[in-house]
Amino acid sequence: MKRAVPVLLLSLAGLIPVWRYEPSLGTAGAAASEPAPASSSAGRGTTVRGSNVQTEKGPVQVQVTFEGSRITAVTMLRQPSHPQTTAAVPKLVAQTLEAQSADIDTVSGATITSDGYRTSLQAALDARGA
Amino acid sequence: MGFPVSLRVDDGDVGEEGADAVFAWLREVDARFSPFRADSEVCRLDRGELARDAVSADLDEVLGLCEEYRVASGGAFDVRLPGRGLDPCAVVKGWSVQRAAGLLRAAGARRFVLNAGGDVVAARGPWRVGIRHPGRADRVCAVAELTDAAIATSARYERGDHIVDGRTGRPATELLSLSVVAPTLTVADAVATAAFALGADGVPWAAARPGCEVFAVTADHRVLRSENFPAARAQAA
Repeated sequence: MKRAVPVLLLSLAGLIPVWRYEPSLGTAGAAASEPAPASSSAGRGTTVRGSNVQTEKGPVQVQVTFEGSRITAVTMLRQPSHPQTTAAVPKLVAQTLEAQSADIDTVSGATITSDGYRTSLQAALDARGA
Repeated sequence: MGFPVSLRVDDGDVGEEGADAVFAWLREVDARFSPFRADSEVCRLDRGELARDAVSADLDEVLGLCEEYRVASGGAFDVRLPGRGLDPCAVVKGWSVQRAAGLLRAAGARRFVLNAGGDVVAARGPWRVGIRHPGRADRVCAVAELTDAAIATSARYERGDHIVDGRTGRPATELLSLSVVAPTLTVADAVATAAFALGADGVPWAAARPGCEVFAVTADHRVLRSENFPAARAQAA
């Protein structure tokens, strides 16, 4: 778990601005940490609960599941009940980067220049359809 | 703002006029909104030759979107960076291609996929849209299945560090690639660019935008996506 905890803290740092982000309020409330993270192991994955963090919208707590040092799921255990913030809580999933050569209709990517285009999949798709 | 445009229309009875209207409109957009053309409306506004309240309704709409996303991103997305000219390209692209899709529908097209420089509007569907692998131009790292939706991708691999975090004035480098699926390309493109400028914080930020799903590749080659991102099941390579 020594490796997992810093990752968890980074995840919290990434998620908390979502509640903080509230343009109409304009003030950032002080966040106070409560008990230290607790962890448990079930099967292959390890589940870690983050601290209960107080925000101006209410308490926030996340649970992160790891396989080894890799995050496989992030779940909200506690979130503010304010309707705007409830709607704003995203659920994120971590996974490994894959390189596929799948059957596709088109490609999304930063294919902004013609140089990039020539080497891109989209050019191949266009050639196939022509 | 030159970028390749691909169009596939599956309605057999739609003639060439729909495609002609799309390309004429995109040429018009380039002439009017390019920051690289001295006589464009954007450049004339930037030089003060055109008053803010005298701009066209189209440019007024674009500038309104730019301001909306500047505020929403806490200043990370900003089309008026210090020391640089006004550059609304990131919003103009999605906005103009979404309108091009409207021109296709007006011409009778119902089932089509319009890809402008990697930003895609999918009409009906499902269409399988690959997300380019950030390290390999000939591979995708995911496939999104889209029906009446749009996807835009901001990334560092094509033009290098060209997206600047307006809060710091420095290039955004925490992500390699970030894609946003949204109901319209206007929203998808603006959210993808703003989220990329926000860096790692941009992933949950984009996921929290109404109607948006996000798929991001971080600088350490890991994927972080929103739970409901419409990813198709991977197929064997």
